[in-house]
Amino acid sequence: MKDRLLPYWLLIPAFVIVLATTIYPLAYSFVTSFREWDLTKQRRPGGFVGVDNYLHAASESGFQNSLWVTTIFVVTSVALTLVIAMSLALLLRRKGRMHTFTRIILILPFAMSPALIGVSYRFMFNPEFGVLAKGIGAVFPSLEGTPWLADPDLAMAILVLTDVWHWAPYMTFMCLGGLASIPRETEEAARVDGASNLRIVFGIILPQMKGVLLVTAVLKTIFALKMFDQVVTLTGGGPGVSTETLAFFVFNVGFKWYDMGYASALAWILTAIMMVISIWYVRMLLSERKMATA
Amino acid sequence: MAEIRLVDIEKKYGNFLAVPKQSLTIVDGEFLVLLGPSGCGKTTTMRMIAGLEDITSGDILIGGDRVNDKPPKDRDIAMVFQNYGLYPHMTVRQNIEYPLKLRGMAKADRAARVQETAEKVELDALLDRRPSELSGGQRQRVALARAIVRKPRIFLMDEPLSNLDAKLRVTMRAELKHLHHELGVTTVYVTHDQMEAMTLASRVAVMREGRIVQLDTPKRIYSEPADLFVAGFIGSPSMNLIEGAIRGGVFTAQGVSLPVTVSDRDDVVLGVRPEDLEIIQRDEAPIQGRLYALELTGDSTLVTLRTGKASVCARGPADFEAEINAPCHFAPKPGVRIHLFDRTSGQRIDGDAAQGTAA
Repeated sequence: MKDRLLPYWLLIPAFVIVLATTIYPLAYSFVTSFREWDLTKQRRPGGFVGVDNYLHAASESGFQNSLWVTTIFVVTSVALTLVIAMSLALLLRRKGRMHTFTRIILILPFAMSPALIGVSYRFMFNPEFGVLAKGIGAVFPSLEGTPWLADPDLAMAILVLTDVWHWAPYMTFMCLGGLASIPRETEEAARVDGASNLRIVFGIILPQMKGVLLVTAVLKTIFALKMFDQVVTLTGGGPGVSTETLAFFVFNVGFKWYDMGYASALAWILTAIMMVISIWYVRMLLSERKMATA
Repeated sequence: MAEIRLVDIEKKYGNFLAVPKQSLTIVDGEFLVLLGPSGCGKTTTMRMIAGLEDITSGDILIGGDRVNDKPPKDRDIAMVFQNYGLYPHMTVRQNIEYPLKLRGMAKADRAARVQETAEKVELDALLDRRPSELSGGQRQRVALARAIVRKPRIFLMDEPLSNLDAKLRVTMRAELKHLHHELGVTTVYVTHDQMEAMTLASRVAVMREGRIVQLDTPKRIYSEPADLFVAGFIGSPSMNLIEGAIRGGVFTAQGVSLPVTVSDRDDVVLGVRPEDLEIIQRDEAPIQGRLYALELTGDSTLVTLRTGKASVCARGPADFEAEINAPCHFAPKPGVRIHLFDRTSGQRIDGDAAQGTAA
């Protein structure tokens, strides 16, 4: 009897911690999303307002802008990261001293804190003394003095660039792992059968990488949906609201304008989007598993 | 169909010499087996023929053309891999069709060819499955079909049966042999299984440390091994090898004295196959010792005796019975071959070595 209960006793500490740090805040924010709570006026959550907070989101321009900004950011950064990571992995998968060395230094961008990356790039793109701004100006004199982060499109491009720079190495490692699990024979068989290098990549390697690329894409999508740190340190959401991502907007609503009810509702919308993507991904992956070789 | 000639080919990986300089001619239509333990360079040699591995020096000629610098696809070869190398994302049909598609064959012709090939290897019912839905033997057939569908000049097979269970291996072996007979395509086959080599090959090249130590018909490899390595490698159970010396026309070791027709010398290894020995009940037998083990194999019993440090195995009748440690006597059967090797060099002594005497 005692022995049968022991596993549950052992689970309790972990369960309590998860309950206190994850389940409770989640539930609390979910409940808050249906209440009115202006921190500037009341210390405790106010009355229930039904789905008003959610309805507000549907008609508010700040939210719609952040949704649009996030969509552009997610699509471009996920696509670029995946293409670059896969290409790098194909280049780096062979064994050799240079390959190993490159793989090692590739970890560095990923090891850097996103907030620090934002600050660094902000300096590097400073038109007065930024090394990248100066470098680009030296190669293309017409771009000398471009106010990189003051232009809405350029600021977005740089935000995407820093994110790709940060994530591509890690995704490269995921792709390298995937490539290592592809039997070398399929590639050699294709070569003997008469396939060109390009055809081997697109006809033989990539189809077998489908599962790994799916995982990578979904992880990257979720990370990109949460984009916050670099927005704060690189662009501050600007110029104007041109780089205000959803996570950044939620933060502003909650901790700048102190509208906790609305912020909670927005956070749950973000969560719902991520949940839909995750479920879709698990489904895709399960059907992929069924097809994969033993 | 074509002849393959390897002329002074050599393969180095950095400072490691995988295959030292050597030559080999594979005759048109031949089934040549490269046989050897793992790491002996047999797969490297085959991959050099395929073009999957560069050669450090030397020349490879296929049908008289130098193919050193040609990529695999321009060598008109087909290859069957140990792990099959099937494309997991394609159906069986697409797998078999792929080489034809890459060579730009028209769709209707392709379909006909795939059908014809699939029937040949009895896959026609499985064409729309994926490799993951097939058994090992079926996957092997797909790999074979993909190789033969293009009608290449040369087949290369890298341990194609080693992933199959023992029973299936024997069936597939027969199918391979039949297929070679039917198609008559020059085939190079890599294996470490001497049984596969013996049963399939027109000629066997036994390799060791990158070198071909003997190139001969299976029959001659069995009856006249060129050195101790081949002698020990071919045959199951393997040949008895006994160290000793020749004195006055008699090979002598502890418990062993066999008359031979080689002049006196030291450091000799005598080799005799278990199936060439019989158990006798006389005291003055050429091989004497105490019974060490009895192993019934079904159709016969392997009888092992020990004398000094050596143990000698003989294939006896299935109903043979005796007590362990009882005195035991073997003699070569009349007219069988006794092999002698130099202990230091390992080389066979006297090509036409001593005949076993009727004991």
